[in-house]
Amino acid sequence: MNRRFLTAEDVRRHAESTDGDLVVEPNTVVTPQAAEAAEARGLAIRTTDGNVWTEPAPDRGPDAARAVRSLPHLPEPEENPELASTAIVTAVGRNRPGVLAEITAAVAELGGNVHDVSQKVVDDFFHIILTVQLGDAGDFGAFKESLECMGRPDELAVRVMNERVFRFMHRV
Amino acid sequence: MSYSDREILETVRMVELETLDIRTTTLGISLFDCADPDAESACEKIYTKVCHHARHLVEVAESISADYGVPIVNKRIAVTPIAWVAAASGTDDLVPFARAMDAAAKEVGVDFIGGFSAYVEKGFTNADRALFDSIPAALEVTDHVCASVAVGSTRAGINIDAVRRFADAVLGAAARTRETGGLGCAKLVCFCNAVQDNPFVAGAHIGVGEPETVLNVGVSGPGVVRSALERLGPEPDLLAVAETIKRTAFKITRMGELVGREAAKRLGTLFGIVDVSLAPTPAVGDSVADILELIGIDKTGGNGTTCALALLTDAVKKGGAMASSSVGGLSGAFIPVSEDRGMIAAVEAGALSLDKMEAMTAVCSVGLDMIAVPGDTPASTIVGIVADEMAIGMVNAKTTAVRIIPVPGKGPGETVEWGGLLGTAIVQDPGKFGCSAFSARGGRIPAPLQGYRN
Repeated sequence: MNRRFLTAEDVRRHAESTDGDLVVEPNTVVTPQAAEAAEARGLAIRTTDGNVWTEPAPDRGPDAARAVRSLPHLPEPEENPELASTAIVTAVGRNRPGVLAEITAAVAELGGNVHDVSQKVVDDFFHIILTVQLGDAGDFGAFKESLECMGRPDELAVRVMNERVFRFMHRV
Repeated sequence: MSYSDREILETVRMVELETLDIRTTTLGISLFDCADPDAESACEKIYTKVCHHARHLVEVAESISADYGVPIVNKRIAVTPIAWVAAASGTDDLVPFARAMDAAAKEVGVDFIGGFSAYVEKGFTNADRALFDSIPAALEVTDHVCASVAVGSTRAGINIDAVRRFADAVLGAAARTRETGGLGCAKLVCFCNAVQDNPFVAGAHIGVGEPETVLNVGVSGPGVVRSALERLGPEPDLLAVAETIKRTAFKITRMGELVGREAAKRLGTLFGIVDVSLAPTPAVGDSVADILELIGIDKTGGNGTTCALALLTDAVKKGGAMASSSVGGLSGAFIPVSEDRGMIAAVEAGALSLDKMEAMTAVCSVGLDMIAVPGDTPASTIVGIVADEMAIGMVNAKTTAVRIIPVPGKGPGETVEWGGLLGTAIVQDPGKFGCSAFSARGGRIPAPLQGYRN
């Protein structure tokens, strides 16, 4: 029988009727209470394929299985593989010599390749937008964190967002 | 493909200054396979299944937040209504089921778990009765569990007996959570035309016809709509207002679509729906009332409010419908009173009465939400308030809900602080004329002609 769960009650019943090990399907989910009960009785939980039971990957159901098989089943806005792992960096702050160089140097250090720059200075403030292609090993989270920590908060504010956010919002 | 500076700054501004966020990623988990003749085993299965499926939910939501630079505020779980799961156990006390849900929510680190629920539009099963009776205790002893009950629908009519039991549950929960100003009631809601894929609490659950697991997303952004209207200014006509709201809602929903697809992919499950709802928070600027006032109402609750809200709700739905093929849930504008600074200010100013709120619910996306009434409000008055609200939903074939909090020891005009997302409320006067004889009749209101559509 392919049972979905093995509960403490199942273990108790099993122990009453026989003293052999518990055998479950590989995809059976053993409750923590059942595992405890089995351990207390010295019973091992094995699977039908002869292994010691370990928690299976969650069975998300038939629809999920189909959706995952056919991914990506919905078209992206303006499909463009070149844009994979592109970040948009915006920075605002008080203008001073070398600030653009500092930001682009930081981007380069993190393995980013600047594709596009737009910069404006109004009064004492500058405003920069960079389109950055992250390297193959590009970890977006780490890239974002390092850049956003640049400079003193009252001097420079850097924000990093994934290009896909802009693609979804501004392209159909 | 490159973006203009304007496009880029618009998006950055929405997130940085206008509090655009993904309000919730809600993982729906079917618990049908957890039914068991032994209640203890059923609870064990519920705990285990929720943990098994949701173990990585918070981690995935946070990784998407980090990878996309988009804030995801809440991570939640919605489950099959517990009355259906517990029916096989034949027990009268369903509090252990709530405890199992709560323990699982704590284990996986989500904010809320919704689904301590029952559908009783036409009548009660034994398990439904047990669930109603267990609600006050369940809300008292758990931190994260939300309860919801469906007491009416356009197809079935309104079950006034259920409304009466709901009123008793509300008063029971308020009494049991007296120290926190009746906060237990903030986790309890009743519906007419309940939505089975709603990702927002307190009504989150997944009903029949829903898959084994599903990832639903709720996006919000009253601040974004507000800023767009501020930029539009007071001159342009109402068509221009509708167009501005629609375009803004489109952009907000696109962000939900992106996060929904990505979260479902990372969890290996199905992407269900995006619920695009303007859901206010007590944060400054994150207010639906502010939007109504920008449309041109002196103070929310004034004449014209209902029409302005109708325009808003409809424009949000239209923008959302174009942005995603999976718009669902409640989608529109929520008007919870305590959670919206502008609404509280309107109540304080004497502009927004309970009566006007009721009228507004005919055109908003849900109903009377987070309404504080005096702690000594009789059950029959609550029955009347709920029955009125259910009737609006039933006749207009829309979802309506009531989340009402009788605040123990407080009278009309007094303020109650709940803190956090639930905000502050001013206790409202439910009026001195009740409906005790109507309530005492009990029974069922038959389905309206609108329900006979076959």
